[in-house]
Amino acid sequence: MRLDDRLTGALLLALAIALLVYAMGLPPMPGQRYGAAAFPTVVALGLGLFSVLLIWQGWRTRRPGAPLFAWAGWVKDSRNLGNFLLSLALVGVYVAASDKIGFIPLSLAILFALFVRQGVTWGRAAAIAALATAAIQYAFASLLRVPLPRGLLDSIL
Amino acid sequence: MTVDTLLAALGLIADPQVLIVILFASAFGLFVGAMPGLTATMATALLVPITFFMPPIPALAAIVTASAMAIFAGDIPGALLRIPGTPASAAYADEAYAMTLKGQAGTALGAGVVFSAFGGIFGTVVLVTAAPALAEVALAFSSFEYFWLVCLGLSCAVLIAQDSAIKGMLALFLGLAAALIGLENPAAVPRLTFGTTELMGGIDMIQAMIGMFAIAEVLRAVAATGTRLPPPRAVTGAIFAGQWELMKKYPVQALRGSSIGTLIGALPGAGADIAAWITYATSKRFSKEPEKFGQGHVEGIVEAGAANNAAVSGAWIPALVFGIPGDSITAIVIGVLYLKNVIPGPTLFLNQPQTVTALFVIFFLANLVMIPFGWLAVKSARRILAVPREVLMPIVLMFCIVGAFAVTNSPFGVGVMLAFGLLGFVMEENGFPVAPVILGLVLGPMLEQHFVTSMIKADGMLLGFFKRPIAAALGVVTLLVWGSMIWRGLRALVRKAA
Repeated sequence: MRLDDRLTGALLLALAIALLVYAMGLPPMPGQRYGAAAFPTVVALGLGLFSVLLIWQGWRTRRPGAPLFAWAGWVKDSRNLGNFLLSLALVGVYVAASDKIGFIPLSLAILFALFVRQGVTWGRAAAIAALATAAIQYAFASLLRVPLPRGLLDSIL
Repeated sequence: MTVDTLLAALGLIADPQVLIVILFASAFGLFVGAMPGLTATMATALLVPITFFMPPIPALAAIVTASAMAIFAGDIPGALLRIPGTPASAAYADEAYAMTLKGQAGTALGAGVVFSAFGGIFGTVVLVTAAPALAEVALAFSSFEYFWLVCLGLSCAVLIAQDSAIKGMLALFLGLAAALIGLENPAAVPRLTFGTTELMGGIDMIQAMIGMFAIAEVLRAVAATGTRLPPPRAVTGAIFAGQWELMKKYPVQALRGSSIGTLIGALPGAGADIAAWITYATSKRFSKEPEKFGQGHVEGIVEAGAANNAAVSGAWIPALVFGIPGDSITAIVIGVLYLKNVIPGPTLFLNQPQTVTALFVIFFLANLVMIPFGWLAVKSARRILAVPREVLMPIVLMFCIVGAFAVTNSPFGVGVMLAFGLLGFVMEENGFPVAPVILGLVLGPMLEQHFVTSMIKADGMLLGFFKRPIAAALGVVTLLVWGSMIWRGLRALVRKAA
C-alpha cells in the first residue's frame, strides 16, 4: 500500500486535529495551569505542523499523473497477498478466540495453515507444527509459568 | 568502583544460572543474527518475555550477550550469501562477499569475529569510564535539564535518520501520541482509552516493539514467499590465522572504528547499522588504498566490524545514566530494567553499584566469549543457513504471539502487537522510519513529566527553561539542532523545486 505524501499528510493532519480537539476537552489539574491537556496539545501541534510540511513537500515534488494511492508490487501476486492476509487473519483469530479454544489447538492450526500455505508438505507441516507447539507450551507454560489459555483442553491439562 | 563492589558483582555473575543463560543467549543471538531477515533488535524483543522470569542479572546477561552475538553473526550471511544477516552488516556485505569469491571467506569472517570483539570491548571500556562520570554530573539535573536532554535525544534520532526528516518527525510524534494513551500522566486522567480498561495502563512498550520489529518483519517475509536464498558458499581459508597481522596493520582503523561506533551508539536513535555505514565510509576516505575497496579488501571490514559492536556497548551509556535509549535495542532494555526494578538514571550508580558493575563485567565476558562462539558459528554457517524460511517465519510468528501475551497475560496484548506490526509494515512501505515511533513511545511519559513539571515551575515562562546553566547549554544545542534541521529541510525543498 503506497500512499502519496499529500494523502498521508492529509490523514495525519486529520489525526492531529482530532487529537487537538480531544486535548481541549481534557479536565484541568486542580490548582495548576498545566495538567493532562498540556502535553497532548503540544503533540497535536507538532503532528499537525509536520503533516502540513509533508503535504507541502508532496505538492512540490508531485509527478504529473502519479496516483495518490497505489498497491505495492507484492499485492499483485495472489500467493503473496494470500499469505499476508492469512497471517493477519490468524493472529486476529488468536486474539478473539484463544480464551475459548486455547493455545495448543490454535497454535497447531495456525502453524499448520501457514506451513502448508508456504509450500511445506502436509505431513512435514503437521509434524513440525506439533513439535513447535509442544516446545513452546513446555517452555512458556511449564518452565516460565505463563498462563497460556487452556481453552478446550482445560480438563486435560 | 571499589574492590568490594567488584567482588560482589563477580559473585552475582559466578552463579551457574547466569553462565548457562550466557551460553544459551549466545547460541540464540548467533542464530538470529545469522538468519537474513531476523535482526538483533528482533532477537532482543523475542528474548524479553523469557527474561521476565529471571532475576535482573541473568536477564541483562541474556540481552547483552544475544545482541552482541547477533550483530557479529550478521556478517556471516553477508560474506557467504551477499545478504546481510542484520542491517548492521549491510555496509560491508558486498566487500565480505567479494573476499569470499577470492577464496578469503575465512579471513573476512575471522576479521568479523576478532574486530567485533575488539570494538565491543573498546565500547565497554568507554561505558565503564564514561557512564559513572556522567552519572555524577547528572545527579544535579532538574526537570529543565532532563526536558532538554530528552528533546535533544529525540531530535538526534530524527537528524540521523536523514532519509526524510519530515517523515522522521512524524514517526516520532506518532510514538509520542501513542504514549499519551492511559493513566500515566501528571494528572492521572484516563486519556484516549475509549472506555476500555485494557488501555488504562497505556500501550505496552514491549508489545509495540515485538510488533514493529518482529511482526512487521514476518509480514514482509510472507509477502515475499518464493524468493529463496541461494545456497551459501563454503568458508575457505583459516579463520584466525593472519588476524594478528591485521591488528598490527590496521590499528588506527580498529581504534577509529571503535571510537566513532561508541559515539554513534551513545547518540539516541542511532545504532550499529548507522555506525557501520559511517565508519566504512571513513575507512575508505582515509585509506592508503581506496581503489581496493569493493573488490574484497579487508580494511573496511576491520573498521566497520569494530564500529557496529562498539555501538552496541555505547548505546548503554545514555540508557543507564539518563534512561534515554541509545538505539532500538536499549529502548527494549529500558523496559526490562523498569520491570526488574533497576530504574535507569544517575541514582542507579549510587543505589545499586554492584548491579551496574556486574553489567559491565557481563559486557566484557560477552565480547570475550564471542571469539570461540563466533568461530563455532562460522564453522556451522552452512547448517544455520539451511534452515528453511517457510518453516522459520511461522514459528517466529507463534513465538511473538506467546511473547506478547506473556507481558500482560491477556490476548489484548497480542492485538496491540498486531496493530503495531501492521503500522510498522505500512510505515516502512511508505518510507517512514520506525525507530522514532519506539523512541517516542519510550520517552513520551518522561518528556511529559519533565515538560509539565518545568512549565509549572517556570509558571509558563519559556525563558525559565534556560535559567540554569546546564539547562541553558542543552537548550541552546537543541535549538541549534532544530534550526539546522529546518534549514536543511528548506534547502532540500528549494533544490527539488528548482
